[in-house]
Amino acid sequence: MNNRIDVETAREVEEFLFDEAALLDDGHFDEWLALFAPDIRYFVPVRTTRSARERDKEFSGTAELAHFDDDYEGLKTRIRRLATGFAWAEDPPSRTRHFVSNIRLRALENDEFEVTSNTLVYRSRLERQVDMFSGKRVDRLRRSGGGGKFEIAARTVYLDHTLILTNSISIFF
Amino acid sequence: MPNPYSGGPDRSMIDLVGGDGGEINPAIYVDEDIYRRELEQVFGRSWLFLAHGSQIPETGDFVSTYMGEDPVLVVRQKDGSVVAFLNQCRHRGMRICRTDCGKARSFTCSYHGWAYDISGRLVHVPLEQEAYHGEIDKDAWGPVRVPRIASFRNLIFGCWDEAAPDLETYIGDAAWYMDVMFDRSGAGSELISGVHKWVIPCNWKLAAEQFASDMYHAPYSHLSAVLASLPDDASPADADWPQEGAQFRAPRFGHGTGFFASERGWEFNVNTMGRTIVDYLAGKYSDAAVQHLGELRGRQITGQHMTIFPNFSFLPGINALRVWHPRGPQEMEVWSMILVDSDAPDEVKAAYRDRITRMFGTSGIFEQDDGENWVEVQRVLRGHKTRQTSLNASMGKGHTEDRSEYPGIVSGMFSEEAARGFYQHWARMMAGQSWEELAQEPASACGKPDSGS
Repeated sequence: MNNRIDVETAREVEEFLFDEAALLDDGHFDEWLALFAPDIRYFVPVRTTRSARERDKEFSGTAELAHFDDDYEGLKTRIRRLATGFAWAEDPPSRTRHFVSNIRLRALENDEFEVTSNTLVYRSRLERQVDMFSGKRVDRLRRSGGGGKFEIAARTVYLDHTLILTNSISIFF
Repeated sequence: MPNPYSGGPDRSMIDLVGGDGGEINPAIYVDEDIYRRELEQVFGRSWLFLAHGSQIPETGDFVSTYMGEDPVLVVRQKDGSVVAFLNQCRHRGMRICRTDCGKARSFTCSYHGWAYDISGRLVHVPLEQEAYHGEIDKDAWGPVRVPRIASFRNLIFGCWDEAAPDLETYIGDAAWYMDVMFDRSGAGSELISGVHKWVIPCNWKLAAEQFASDMYHAPYSHLSAVLASLPDDASPADADWPQEGAQFRAPRFGHGTGFFASERGWEFNVNTMGRTIVDYLAGKYSDAAVQHLGELRGRQITGQHMTIFPNFSFLPGINALRVWHPRGPQEMEVWSMILVDSDAPDEVKAAYRDRITRMFGTSGIFEQDDGENWVEVQRVLRGHKTRQTSLNASMGKGHTEDRSEYPGIVSGMFSEEAARGFYQHWARMMAGQSWEELAQEPASACGKPDSGS
């Protein structure tokens, strides 16, 4: 951990990420959405299997195809869908467990932090469907409003999968 | 090769789809023997989509893909042509190339180091003198070439069967409908870089047939995505889809499409696709398309779904395209891409990337619910009784329409005419019918009983 960041801040960031994960796992999607800044970019690039020589081309860029590239409205649409009563891929809902670990912080300007973490998402669905998603998350957290609370200003999730081994990504990372 | 179903009185494959494709025996979705025969008779003989030309613009650019379950490399050559060959070394069968795509000067097998040039010629064998005594015929031991490669609108197809008709004949009347997407402006098309790849535990035909023939599921399966996309102050009644449209069944070879056709154009979909794309398709940017394709195809045909038999599907306008790669009777891989017109304005290309990714692909709010249905259809078929229970594909049987504005066999847009065309062609291929026989339009395509094949 970067030693310019005090223990209390580190603890606060960790708690924020754990609380966020709990909102997802408990199905409180509106509260989860409220953690994001209005200018959020929620980006999950596509990964391809490349030779070591072309390793820098593994992840799709911001003008290429992505699993997610949502602004606030995009995330809101996805969450509204869940409440329509017709969102068959999430009704009955997936049972998820978000594990967040290996948290590293770096202070940015303007009271923002870059937070890198590992994420492992376990999903159980209907009778016997089980999926695992593994990835690295890079978040930009911002102190909002002066209340000292964080909001997520940007999130990029680098999945460890090229071929996604499930029928849909109807959950969030 | 000997084939118990070929030409003889054995109609068992035809019977699996009720003769005319109208009643489906679920064995076709689960049976291991049927699946092995499918790889041989359907994927081994049909024209299969390999890549879009824009994925491999320069010499040595390649994509690694599949024809059925056979891995192939598709490589751009120095002279601009495209070559495809089996991704299998002829020495011990190792996969020659283990990456998804890239630029190659050559391909070297990681097992013993046999090396191939970009056209698939074996050019180097380690210890050729010492171990093979200079006696190996390198020209004879390159990976197996896909003998037939052809392009339509920059879509590259391959076919193993020398007896198959040429690609243009194979596509036939379906070309008129494909051009709504692939020749909208006359300037050609390109892919937005990248491919979504995911696994759905269901038989590939459930997806291919739906895209050929099923407008019927859209208002219900996808209702949540439509409702969620409405503005805050809208009521569900604002999700008002056009009521007019048609469905096309290819007279031969199993292709199908269906669509709305309305003077309202794409306006009904503005909340999901966004203003920029709707203006591109039916508003201020659409004059060139109307000039090129006419009013009907340039502006009025919307919400189109389409499959080129067996496993290449797309949604013109929405411009999502995908290949359903079979992975055993119970599983498929979906490879999904987004296409844009080469001459579309940059903001339109960007809008396609942003909006269509949200609608279709791994996390697409429309796509998700399709997968949910197919997975459960497949899971239910683990049962004994469920496998004995035939499924109904009779919608609109005997109700084809005389619509001079459309080529091919046409029916109402809520119909399973194209599904029957898909399954009937599938069954005839599975029965081992020759391409000469397959080129004959089956009598039942016009609603008359099948007199036998």
